[in-house]
Amino acid sequence: MSEEKKTHKWEMVIDLDRCTGCEACVVACHAENNVRISGEDEAAQGRAINWIRIERYWEGEYPDVRTRFMPVLCQHCDDAPCEPVCPVYASYHTPEGLNAQVYNRCIGVRYCGNNCPYTARQFNWFDPHWDEPLAEQLNPDVTVRQNGIMEKCTFCVQRIRQGKERAEKEGRPVRDGDITPACVQTCPTSALVFGDRRDPDSRVSKLARQDRAFHLLESVGTHPAVTYLKRLT
Amino acid sequence: MNVKRRTLLKTAALATVGSVMPGCRQHVDHLIPYLLPDDEIIPGVDDWYASVCNECVARCGVLVRTREGRAKKLEGNPDHPVNHGKLCVKGQASLQSLYNPDRLRHPFQREGPRGEGTFIPLEWEEGLRRCTQAFQNISEPPMMVTRPVSGTLARLLSDFMDSIGGRLYFYAPDAELPLHAAWHESMGSDASPFYDLAHADYLLSFGAPFLEHWLSPVAMGIAFGHMRQGRTTVRGRYIHIEPRMSVTAVNADQWIPIRPGTEGMLALGIGQLILDTPLSALAGKVLDRFRGFYGTVRLDEVESATGVARDVIARLAHDFASARAPLAIGGGAACSHTNGTISLIAINGLNALVTSMGRESVARGLRQDETRLERSIPWLTEQMVFELVEKQKEVDARPALLLYGCNPLFTMPPSVPIKALFERASFVVSFGSFLDESSEYADLLLPDRDMLESWGDHVAESTTQTIGLSQPVVTPLYDTKQIGDTILDLSRRLDLGYVQAPTFYDLLRERWKTFLADKPHDETADWFESAWIASLQQGGWWQGPSRRALPVNFAPSREFEQAVFFGEEHEYPFVLHPYPSMALGHGEGANRPWLQELPDTLTTVVWGSCVEVNPKTARDLGIAQGDVVRVTSPFGSLTASVVLFPGIRPDVVAMPLGQGHASYGRYAKNRGVNPAELLAPALDTVTGTLAAGATRVRIEQTGLKGRLAMLERPTVEESNLITIKPH
Repeated sequence: MSEEKKTHKWEMVIDLDRCTGCEACVVACHAENNVRISGEDEAAQGRAINWIRIERYWEGEYPDVRTRFMPVLCQHCDDAPCEPVCPVYASYHTPEGLNAQVYNRCIGVRYCGNNCPYTARQFNWFDPHWDEPLAEQLNPDVTVRQNGIMEKCTFCVQRIRQGKERAEKEGRPVRDGDITPACVQTCPTSALVFGDRRDPDSRVSKLARQDRAFHLLESVGTHPAVTYLKRLT
Repeated sequence: MNVKRRTLLKTAALATVGSVMPGCRQHVDHLIPYLLPDDEIIPGVDDWYASVCNECVARCGVLVRTREGRAKKLEGNPDHPVNHGKLCVKGQASLQSLYNPDRLRHPFQREGPRGEGTFIPLEWEEGLRRCTQAFQNISEPPMMVTRPVSGTLARLLSDFMDSIGGRLYFYAPDAELPLHAAWHESMGSDASPFYDLAHADYLLSFGAPFLEHWLSPVAMGIAFGHMRQGRTTVRGRYIHIEPRMSVTAVNADQWIPIRPGTEGMLALGIGQLILDTPLSALAGKVLDRFRGFYGTVRLDEVESATGVARDVIARLAHDFASARAPLAIGGGAACSHTNGTISLIAINGLNALVTSMGRESVARGLRQDETRLERSIPWLTEQMVFELVEKQKEVDARPALLLYGCNPLFTMPPSVPIKALFERASFVVSFGSFLDESSEYADLLLPDRDMLESWGDHVAESTTQTIGLSQPVVTPLYDTKQIGDTILDLSRRLDLGYVQAPTFYDLLRERWKTFLADKPHDETADWFESAWIASLQQGGWWQGPSRRALPVNFAPSREFEQAVFFGEEHEYPFVLHPYPSMALGHGEGANRPWLQELPDTLTTVVWGSCVEVNPKTARDLGIAQGDVVRVTSPFGSLTASVVLFPGIRPDVVAMPLGQGHASYGRYAKNRGVNPAELLAPALDTVTGTLAAGATRVRIEQTGLKGRLAMLERPTVEESNLITIKPH
């Protein structure tokens, strides 16, 4: 097998016709990725950290009011505006299409956050704190981010690695559906789908080819790895 | 092989090299030498255990990821027939119950006056001795109030209370008793309601918050995804009828803001119009009973009462009757009125109506495969509280009160004399894991273990017969005792003799041995051991084929009635719409920081309370976003910040439930307000449960700006990092 064939291109599809705004993805992400508990004060100052959030848009006026939900996470752009501005290469693109953040390179200049059109990057203004024994729950596969570090969604890179290692141990290629980030794993309506875009038969590839597909702020030209499917009403 | 509870706990406590096989580990391979890691040890190998989620009555199956004896994450059990691998916010956050810093770590006894919340620690032996003594000294039969439980624990609690001559009650603020009562009349069976959402092509929901916290929200979410996008040619349409646009309602194709309490009226109107169609004439006499019930109101009355235009009603009726698989569901706001059950009879009756017209119904009753004990246990409704207090006062009774898994002093409004029930009790013992408003009234705290430290079995409502099995996945963190073991110990001390099992684990195994003996199994001598291990690994027992639905029989025993509201309209112009917060529920989630920090999907408020007001109403009253207003009902008054909410009727104001705790740990205490304090003691006329939507309020400016922590456009407060000094 050639080297080219071996690599994956991880992408996500979010079906807005399925998303109900239940936010199970948000808590699953906090649990999986050791996202800090910010507390009321930091939240009031807009410093709470969510790698994935449900944006809610009101349209129209009562009684003809409509609401739309949009789960927004790091779009893992192919042409990511956050990458070229990092002076220390903390923000870089992996060969598998992930927009990675190397925490121990990050010096906290926040240029990346400034340049991200999706507000997907969040800065740690404080050291995280967990009242004992809440820290027992922390995922040993994920670094805890300290004060002065920029952080964001990783597509659960640790779960991608685990999935690939498991497949390798069993001597088989990674199958579609083997790897799910925590948000995708828990999504009750299966609005979130994750997979290898290089595999034309993967669910994510099939869904991304649908007529309803669009990208967030397409005109910015970031070429995101997250494809949204339009809600039908 | 005899896998004792201790062995299993040890296994869980010691990190082992093993596979990622879900289930119960049976042997220890290696210990991790903490200083010099063995070459064989692959760091980062997890153990997964199957168990059951404890957060609501849906009882989803979970797999718990553990590492070095600590639980790290909960994920849905993919094989489980209820949740198919998925979990909701509450399920995901239940780890913060296990590791909550405010858990009770050992028994306590009250020190100061009752209700003050001062306790001193106690040894278990002493605690159990005191509890036994209290029961021996009291001549009156005690009462126990518990969250709804099933399986072995339900049997044990019931037998225990029977043998000491006491009474066991279930209590849950979200018990949906009107739904069950209505189902009995509109479908003519005692079966559990089951709505096959996945296969509906037209869904008419009257206030049912099925994507948030109603019946089995994860199962409903899965079904909803299927209804919308799971079929190649059909996308189910969904109309939601409710005075406020809930998170569930937002997902509808159309939201109809109906006047509160008139949901049943609208159903009557729709039913009437369906009965007037030529199609119904073909059905003939079968429909006479429907005509008797649905014909009791005139259409113009429906139109003026509900505020829904005639042509909208006509369209709803037409679409419902002409759909291939129509489904009407009602709950939440629709049943939180004095006519709640009757409204639901009218709503569920629409399903019976189309079924009688020859349509295949997607609203089905689930036949019970066996008699379930927990169905015969009475509920502590608000009406029951009134009656009990009355009766106790009459004969000057002061029974002991046992409390488990519920917090009625917080969830019931103060206008219901629940406090009197606590104050009158000669002795209060709480088995809860946390100190909350109710357990602060206890004389003795005998804390239960967390679900992830406990054995148990739980019946789930599903199309297949499903019994989940929960097992300890971590070594118990503290000196706590599973309630089953506490009850068994007390029974022995009181010499009750109704049960022989030394521990709850033994009792559970005994019952499962009897249960599995009827099922197909191998005929070896130790068949049970392997069947038991298999059940633990699977996370319980469930059957393949679907349960048969029951034929419908519409038999309403009463006529339609109108909702009654408390408070005069000229003095209290708004109807208060209290709704359980999606994350915090009725307050049980308030001590989990993940849930406190989870933005409410619609208001995006975190860590606090708010009052939702229509922007037009706010304009009329001169109120802006973030203003603190005083909300006053005939029964109470409180203040909260305003959130302008476009999806609510101008004559209704909404408040989320869940905050306003005076106890319940550091994350919950003294945060926000509890709208239950405003509620009138209004009761559903059939079931006697609280009609939470039947209170009128007025709102007044206080002139203050409040603090609203929100995800959307957070108020920019002065930073606490930089201090700006004035020149």
